[in-house]
Amino acid sequence: MSIILKTEKLRVEFTSGELRQTTKVALDSLDLEVNVGEVFGFLGPNGAGKTTAINVLLGFVPPTRGAAYLFGIDVRQPIARQRIGYLPEMTYYYKFLTAEELLRFYARIFGLRRTEADKRIDQLLKLVELEPARKRPIKSYSKGMQQRVGLAQALINNPDLLILDEPTSGLDPLGRMQVREIIQRLKNEGKTVFFSSHELGEVETVCDRVAIINRGELKASGRVSDLVAQHHANLEKAFLDIIGYQTQSAS
Amino acid sequence: MNTIWALAGVVIKELYRRKDFYVLFVLTALITIAAGMVNFFHDPKIVRYVKDICLLLIWVSALLIAIITTARQIPAERESRTIFPLLAKPVTRWQFILGKFLGCWLATGMALLVFYVFFAIITGSREQNWPWLTYLQAIWLQWAMLAVVIALSLCGSIISAAPSSTTTICFIAVAGILLVGGHLNTVALHQSQPLQTIFYTIYFLIPHLEWFDLRDRVVYDWGLVDWLDCVLATLYAAAYTGLFLLLTWLGFRRKSLNT
Amino acid sequence: MKASPYLVLVLVLTVCFTLATGIEPRASTWSDRAKSNNVFSMLFGDGRRLFANQFFTMADVYFHSGYYPSVFDLREEGQKEIVAESHGHTDSPEDEIKEDFLGKPKDWIDRFGRHFRITKHTHLEHGNEREILPWLRLAADMDPQKIETYTVGSFFMRTHLNRPREAEAFLREGLRNNPDSYEILFELGRLYDESDRDPGRARDVWQLALYRWSKDPEAVKDDKLAFEEITVHLAQLERGAGNWPQAINWFQAAQKVSPDPNALQQRIDEIKKTMAAQTNAPSAAPY
Repeated sequence: MSIILKTEKLRVEFTSGELRQTTKVALDSLDLEVNVGEVFGFLGPNGAGKTTAINVLLGFVPPTRGAAYLFGIDVRQPIARQRIGYLPEMTYYYKFLTAEELLRFYARIFGLRRTEADKRIDQLLKLVELEPARKRPIKSYSKGMQQRVGLAQALINNPDLLILDEPTSGLDPLGRMQVREIIQRLKNEGKTVFFSSHELGEVETVCDRVAIINRGELKASGRVSDLVAQHHANLEKAFLDIIGYQTQSAS
Repeated sequence: MNTIWALAGVVIKELYRRKDFYVLFVLTALITIAAGMVNFFHDPKIVRYVKDICLLLIWVSALLIAIITTARQIPAERESRTIFPLLAKPVTRWQFILGKFLGCWLATGMALLVFYVFFAIITGSREQNWPWLTYLQAIWLQWAMLAVVIALSLCGSIISAAPSSTTTICFIAVAGILLVGGHLNTVALHQSQPLQTIFYTIYFLIPHLEWFDLRDRVVYDWGLVDWLDCVLATLYAAAYTGLFLLLTWLGFRRKSLNT
Repeated sequence: MKASPYLVLVLVLTVCFTLATGIEPRASTWSDRAKSNNVFSMLFGDGRRLFANQFFTMADVYFHSGYYPSVFDLREEGQKEIVAESHGHTDSPEDEIKEDFLGKPKDWIDRFGRHFRITKHTHLEHGNEREILPWLRLAADMDPQKIETYTVGSFFMRTHLNRPREAEAFLREGLRNNPDSYEILFELGRLYDESDRDPGRARDVWQLALYRWSKDPEAVKDDKLAFEEITVHLAQLERGAGNWPQAINWFQAAQKVSPDPNALQQRIDEIKKTMAAQTNAPSAAPY
């Protein structure tokens, strides 16, 4: 199976303080591999380093040591992002643009021809159920609508790899179900989905494999069923076990 | 190139959907028309003061639009987090900067054109004379100057994350150069060391934006600047623009962007 | 009991109104600005004189079509050319050289920059002098006590723009604001003499100007030029009217303060020659 996303001993340090004397290690020797066609869950408590890892993959943050690759290309090269789609956790888009204008803008960045872009925009707006609101400026959208615009823009280039950062954050149960359906549909189309989430129930449902990190270090990686079997518990209890959290009853 | 034009298009849309340009245009128009309606000694042919006032307002407005629009581009993108879905696409940071620059420059250019059309109508209705080539030179050189100002603002917005401080600093710098820059050599002559060296250094380093101010030539009907001088001034503006854009890229390319 | 907010509002308004009626008569004595009926005086106070000076300078800038030294050119502040021209001064070649404040370019930046600047010394003419009028109007509004504004403005309106009525109105406005101004009276006299060809009115106004001048101790001490101008003009007026003795008297009065009494003496001698020629002419009536 070919590897679509890979990190090799990835280390990210942030310095802070007036004289930059305080160093925080956000990621330490992270080794990850995601195969083509799988839905990969990236789990960890708050502050574990999930978002930092995603930031490195997207080229927002340079690694201090190690490397990261998308489609075998170093992430520092913009061409590595030609075939990916990204949905950030906090979805903010140009408020003065309409959904249609926003999608057309991103389509142009990907070099899609006008006719192709038009077709794709129509498809996506239908998929995320924003067809009636396509000509309204995004500033008039609700949070759920903005999240759906985000999903549409992440899919504008028909990406082979989708990177989602907490895709169901802030969504109502209906919205979460729609996102799960879209992820499932993408998987059926042979796309690869890499997403971080706190919703372990969803992860257990949709993911083929997961990686669990804590304090910047990879604690476990493998198939969901294997992890569950290994810890003789559901994914939530396995997760807590792996990150070393003891419930009051256990202690 | 497509990416740069796409980015520029978004900047232009933003300018024309915000109120700034319309407010400034209406203000300029109202003040000019009010000034033009004043009766001075029952002589309807007096026109130069109207030209002077209108051109001053155009210059101030164009600088306001250029600096304020540019100073908030990158900080606003970071604050509103729109930069993340954008740079997650195959967009280099250099393309990002160029797109922002081009958008601000084109938007300011369009605003300038509208202002000058208004100016031509107002003054032409009094003078019955339209020196189109002179106006064209004045617009072109002002636009070239604004390219330098926009690049400078963009560079400032990388250094200072707050648009207000970038705007203030840029205004002071540009106003200082326009009013005083051309005279620093005269001032330096009358200073002792080390002030003399400091003044001369500043004099030779700063972009001489006052060259691009053809208002006096338009107001007092002095005719055209030699076209070769126009070309040389344009190249000079292009060089400084390139310099400031390069500095912007150097400052921005390694900046960590944390979501 | 809770007071209604509207009642409180009415009460507060009543208090404010009552206080205003009580304080207003006192407040009007606190400063001149409050008493002033001039909008600019009220807005800017004495700072308006700075604006007036700047506007007057703008008129001079416009007169030179933009060729004007900046504060950095460190030229000696002399009389503005529009003022000099209103007194009949024209530039000599030496003046032209002095006016060239730019000098040689100091470096390549200066040299190249001059391609975009105005570098030629010119004066407005052929009716374009009208362009200085708005600035003179503003200067007069900002500082009604600035005499030069009225005299210069009316001079250009009268001589270059052929608008004597507007010139007269402007001078009369100046007189209302400066009733003791001999300069404005002198200019008014010139208008009656040169534009209206009314020597009687011109004579009356110039004599009044002389009277005002004599009553101004500062003028008597420092402005002898004004005395000379008025008396010379009176002399020429009397000469034109054939009142030779009166003309001589005026020229002799001017000689006492003139920097060039010999020139005036020449004119006195000419008048005396003319008088003598008339006395010796044969009688027109035949025997």
